[in-house]
Amino acid sequence: MNSITSMISIFQTHGFEFLKATLTTVQLTAVSLLIAMIIGLVFAFFKVSNIFVLEKLADTYIFLVRGMPLIVQLMFLYYGISSVFVLSDFTAGAIALGIHSGAYIAEIFRGAIQSIDRGQMEAARSLGMPYSLSMRRIILPQAFKRAVPSLGNQFIIGLKDSSLVAYIAVTELFNHALSAQAENYMPFETYFVVGIYYLILVLIFTLIFNRIEARLDVSKGRKRRGGKRFDQGKTAVQSV
Amino acid sequence: MIKVKQLCKAFDGLQVLKNISMEINKSEVVVLIGASGSGKSTLLRCLNFLEIKDSGEIEISGQVIDTKKTNLNKVREDMGMVFQHFNLFPHMTVLANVIEAPIHIKKKSKQTAIDQAMDILQKVGLADKAHHYPEQLSGGQKQRVAIARALAMEPAVMLFDEPTSALDPELVGEVLETMKNLAREGMTMVIVTHEMGFAREVADRVIMLADGNIIEDGHPSVFFTDPKEERTRRFLQQVL
Repeated sequence: MNSITSMISIFQTHGFEFLKATLTTVQLTAVSLLIAMIIGLVFAFFKVSNIFVLEKLADTYIFLVRGMPLIVQLMFLYYGISSVFVLSDFTAGAIALGIHSGAYIAEIFRGAIQSIDRGQMEAARSLGMPYSLSMRRIILPQAFKRAVPSLGNQFIIGLKDSSLVAYIAVTELFNHALSAQAENYMPFETYFVVGIYYLILVLIFTLIFNRIEARLDVSKGRKRRGGKRFDQGKTAVQSV
Repeated sequence: MIKVKQLCKAFDGLQVLKNISMEINKSEVVVLIGASGSGKSTLLRCLNFLEIKDSGEIEISGQVIDTKKTNLNKVREDMGMVFQHFNLFPHMTVLANVIEAPIHIKKKSKQTAIDQAMDILQKVGLADKAHHYPEQLSGGQKQRVAIARALAMEPAVMLFDEPTSALDPELVGEVLETMKNLAREGMTMVIVTHEMGFAREVADRVIMLADGNIIEDGHPSVFFTDPKEERTRRFLQQVL
């Protein structure tokens, strides 16, 4: 009972501040995932390129990122990046998170590209389409659709991982929780409240991704049109 | 039109094609037959460089193709290919499948490409399916779209790799009919098939492959009634 009243009072005193910090978390996540998508796509291409040097480069990157805890990488990259470039804590944090998620996204894209039937590339090439055009027009649109569920998962991981940049002085949501509980000596209650903020964020992310999945009709090969796919499909075949 | 000299191709040490030499003239319809593993599909795929030969010479329309120096995309533009499993682009409508390469490779205007595509779809009897997606079509219809897609590039030669092998028996006829019409119009065609009735009726020449060698090459009237080779005789007995 006591805890609940404390939580309410924490919410009353820090609620708005947490909300602002949540905005920083969202921005941080968005920027880092944008960086991660670009890195991921490039390294996925390296991995399917059949060019030895590029493949090994991608393997090394993925090995290094997957092989170390995120907090170690964050510290390492943060002090590394900010010793060479003058960057805000936010930018350095976003880049570090992006480099981390990029490795996982590269693997997601690689898997999706390789899951597309070989015949698709062959058909495109047999029409005279060069490799890059076939990739862009034929393989990637299909691969991207297949990657969406895994990407959604990775985005949620990325969102939660962003909390670790609190330790490199980015004042996002978890960073505020750290300072709040240091002031009020109520760590349990404070983290509980912050946990709810994260839960709501993840819930919103999930809902957005569910919408995207439904829109792209991920289970099928093509874009959904007007929500009447099954009916259309059936009459089309029956009318033959 | 196509000249092949001493073509060799091996996969992982297995010699699939052994010194194949043959010539295909303009407007000729040549059917390749043989048991599975005899190399007929590989031979066909070597002709448009989906498989790259190990040695030998391939000459197309008077040009000897050096796989390292010649722009293979240009060579492929001129050779339509139809696959056993259709390989239609599932994320595009029938019409979009057909206009894809003309727009991006031949740089046709969208309207010109559409007009031309509709003419071709009319010819294969599928103009009414232009705005459907491949998954809404039957196998026979898919294959006819695949033929239309290849024809839209106005190729000089059409290659067919077991075009009816993946079809339900009742759908084979419509695809063969489309191919017969093409042959009548004077299209140069190389066809790998098990449809002996079709070969007998349409082919100008039938070539029998066994263990990577051409063992018999003749006009269907002779080939089917009085084959020279014992192995051809046995093969025909099994399939007829």
